[in-house]
Amino acid sequence: MSEDKKPTDRRDFLLTLGAGAGVAAITVQAAASLRSLVPNVSYDAPTTVKLGPPSDFPDGLKFLPDERVLIFREGNTFHAISAVCTHLGCTVRAEALASPQSVDAGGASLRLTHRFLCPCHGSEYKGDGTNVAGPAPKPLAWYRLLLAPDDGQLVIDLADEVGRDFRLTLG
Amino acid sequence: MRLPSLTRTKPEAPNVHAEPLWSLRPQSDREAGDAVVSNFMLHWFPAKISKAAMAWSYSFWLGTISAALFFLLILSGLPLLFLYVPSVERAYQSVKDIEFVITFGSWIRAVHRISAHLMVIVVVLHLVRVFLTGAYKNGVGRGQQREVNWVIGVVMFLTTLFLSFTGYLLPWDQLAFWAVTVGTNIASSIPAIGPGVRELLIGGRNIDQPTLIRFYVLHVVFLPGLLGVLFAYHMWRVRKDGGLARADAETVLESARATEVVPTKTYTLLGMARGTAPTVTARTMAAPNTTVNAVPDLTRRALIATLGTIAVVSIMSVFIASPLEEPANALITPNPAKAPWYFLWLQEIVTDTTIRIGSFTLNGAFVGGVILPGVLVGLLTFWPWLDRSSLRAAGVWLPRERRRQNIVFLLLILGVLLLTFVGMVLRGPYWNFYWPWEIWPEIPGRI
Repeated sequence: MSEDKKPTDRRDFLLTLGAGAGVAAITVQAAASLRSLVPNVSYDAPTTVKLGPPSDFPDGLKFLPDERVLIFREGNTFHAISAVCTHLGCTVRAEALASPQSVDAGGASLRLTHRFLCPCHGSEYKGDGTNVAGPAPKPLAWYRLLLAPDDGQLVIDLADEVGRDFRLTLG
Repeated sequence: MRLPSLTRTKPEAPNVHAEPLWSLRPQSDREAGDAVVSNFMLHWFPAKISKAAMAWSYSFWLGTISAALFFLLILSGLPLLFLYVPSVERAYQSVKDIEFVITFGSWIRAVHRISAHLMVIVVVLHLVRVFLTGAYKNGVGRGQQREVNWVIGVVMFLTTLFLSFTGYLLPWDQLAFWAVTVGTNIASSIPAIGPGVRELLIGGRNIDQPTLIRFYVLHVVFLPGLLGVLFAYHMWRVRKDGGLARADAETVLESARATEVVPTKTYTLLGMARGTAPTVTARTMAAPNTTVNAVPDLTRRALIATLGTIAVVSIMSVFIASPLEEPANALITPNPAKAPWYFLWLQEIVTDTTIRIGSFTLNGAFVGGVILPGVLVGLLTFWPWLDRSSLRAAGVWLPRERRRQNIVFLLLILGVLLLTFVGMVLRGPYWNFYWPWEIWPEIPGRI
C-alpha cells in the first residue's frame, strides 16, 4: 500500500472491525477475570469486639492474642495499645521492666511497667507505644475502649485510633 | 549401537531423502544433521556447535542444570499435587501426612524442596556467569538481540524467586505464615497503592483461606506456566542469536588471525537462523576443528548435566530432611522470625533502612523492601544498554575492558552474600546481633 491515504475498502474495514472485536473481547475478559479477584465482601473479624467484663482484667497488662492488642489497667482506668509492629506487622512481645516509671503521655500521666520488642526486625517500643529503636517508623496504635451498654462488657474499637491521652475510667 | 537402518522404498532426489533417518550415534555428518531435523526432542539444537561454547569451563552448564532442576520440580510436584490439600484446615495435616505417612512421601517432598533451593542458587550463578562473561552482548552475527534474552533471563530469575516464595506458604506452618506476613507487608508499604496491592495479593485484609488458594494457584499453574513459556523463548533466542556469545568470541579471534576472504555459506535451518549465524559460517568448514556435530557431542553433555543433577538431588534428598514447624498461628510470632534464606539479605536491609529526617520518617519496609531492590533489578535489566564495551568483550571471562563493571557487580554480590550470612547466622531473638559462639538468651515463648 502506498503512503498517501486511500479510501478504506470493505475488506480493510471488516478486517479492522474483526481485529478490534477480538482485542475488545480479550480485554473485557481479562478485566472481568482480574476484577473477580478483588473481594467485595470481607469475612475478616469485626473491628468492634466485646472483650469480657472489666473485672476479668488484672491490674497491669493483659495480652489478647485474637485481637493482637494489649489491655492495660491501672485501678479503675483502662487503655489499649496495638501489639502489631508498625514496621512489617509482626506481633510484638511485652517485657516487664525491673522498675516501673511514670511518664507524661499526651498530657496525662502514665505508669510504664513494660517495654515491647518485635521478634522480626528488632524494633523496640516504650510502655506507651513510642518507638525508640529499630526500624519501626511510628508508635504503636492506641485504640478506643468503651463499655457495652447492654451487659457492661469492655469493648474495643479496632477501627478507631485515639490519642495517647485516652483513658477509659469506670465510675 | 546404531539404530536399525530404515529401508528406503522410494527413489531419492539429490540431497532429499524421503524417510527420516537419524541416530543418537550418527555415522556421518549427514546423519548427525538429520537427527536434529527429524527428531522432535532435538529440533531446538543447531546442527553444528563450536567446541569452545560447549566447554565445561566456559558456561559450567548452569543454564542446563537450572532447566534440569525445573524439570525435577515439575516431576516431584506432580505427586505432591495429588497429596496436598490447599485449605487452611487441612493443608498442614496433608503436608504432615506427606512427610510421615505416605510411602516415599518425605523423599518426594525433599526432592521438591532441595531442587527449589538449588534452583535459586544455580539460576543466580547462571546470571553471574552471563554477566561476568558479557554474554548478553551481541557479536558478529546479524540480527542478534542477546540483550533481549538477558531481560527474559532476569524475568525468569524473578519468577524463580516468586515460585519459591509462593511454595513457602503452602505447608501453612509458622515459618510460612510469618514469612508471608512480612513479605506482603513489604508490598503494602508502597505509598498510596500499597495496601490495595496487599489486599489483592492475599485476597482480604488478613492472611487466611483466600491467601492460601491464591498462592497455591500461582505456585502450581500460573508461575510454572509462565516460566515454561519464558524458557522456550529463552532457548529460541539462543538459537536465533547464533548460540552462546562464546561462539562469536571464537569467530572474532579467528578473523583477527585470518586475513583472507572466507567463502560464506548461509544455512537457514528450518527457517530459524536469520542471516549468517557464527556457528554456520563457512569458516567452520575452513577450520573444521573448531566445531563438532550437535548430535552426539552436545546431546551427550546435556544428558550428563541432567543426569548428574538428578543424581545429586536424589541422593541429597535421602539425607536432608525437610523441616515442618508448628502449625501456622496468627497469635504468636516466632522469635526470631526469619525469611527464607534467599530473602534474608532483604530482611537485613529492611531492618536497617528506616530513614528519619527530623519528624519525617520513611519506613525501612519501603526503602529497603521496594526502592532498593527495585533499583537493583532495574539496573540489572537495563545493564546491556549501559555497557559500552566493544564486541571483543563478549563471551570472554573477565575481559580487561569490562574490569570495572565486573568488580562493582562482584562487590554487590558479595554484599548480598554478606548480608545473607549476617541474617542467617548472626541474628538471634528480637533480631539482635549474636556471634555464632554466643548462646541465645532464654526467652519465654509466650507472654
